[in-house]
Amino acid sequence: MNSVGEACTDLKREYDQCFNRWFAEKFLKGDRSADPCTESFRNYQRCVHKAIRDKDIPIEGVDFMGPAKDKGHGD
Amino acid sequence: MKIWSTEHNFSYPWEAVVKAAMRKYPNPMNPNVTGVDVLDRGLDCRGRLHSHRLLSTEWGLPSIVRTILGANHTQTYVKEHSIVDPEEKKMELCSTNITLTNLISVDERLVYQPHPENPDVTVLTQEAIITVKGVSLSSYLESMMARRMTANARKGTT
Repeated sequence: MNSVGEACTDLKREYDQCFNRWFAEKFLKGDRSADPCTESFRNYQRCVHKAIRDKDIPIEGVDFMGPAKDKGHGD
Repeated sequence: MKIWSTEHNFSYPWEAVVKAAMRKYPNPMNPNVTGVDVLDRGLDCRGRLHSHRLLSTEWGLPSIVRTILGANHTQTYVKEHSIVDPEEKKMELCSTNITLTNLISVDERLVYQPHPENPDVTVLTQEAIITVKGVSLSSYLESMMARRMTANARKGTT
């Protein structure tokens, strides 16, 4: 899948590979160790946020339906 | 306003479904999604993973509609917030369009949870609230078209 910013696609794929591995092999199995993708995420983010600004995509100030609040759970 | 909801069972355990849901695009069943980016991601104090993503969609609108809406409106954007709780085994996604909001709002919520009677089955509950803005869509498009024709006339393009 491509990035919204064409120049960011390679950085995105590198980050996605790292994240998907951590998500499947650690996070979903209850392993609480931090994900090793911080560096690749930072590089990718820098590119994406620039692309969003360049394309003037209105990502700020959106109201969501929001996830339902669970009964009996505090936040 | 239209409210739509549906439920679907996957014959796979929750972890497998959630892994696939995170990597949902690209997929041939929904070729309109042309780009996906993670805007932000992190764990909350309950150990749940939050992800904020931006999706770009291309609808291939007929040229008359593109003329009315303006060529730069064929690419629309959707913002999605997901929460994955590996302890409770619940994945929730909420999304809404952030472009064409003056015309339409599509708010969608998806929840993936194990079937209460069978852990090898996952239930997806999906609901959407669709609101078309304005008095009526046709009168809105008519006035938009009139404005565009006026603007084009000023530029000498009609």
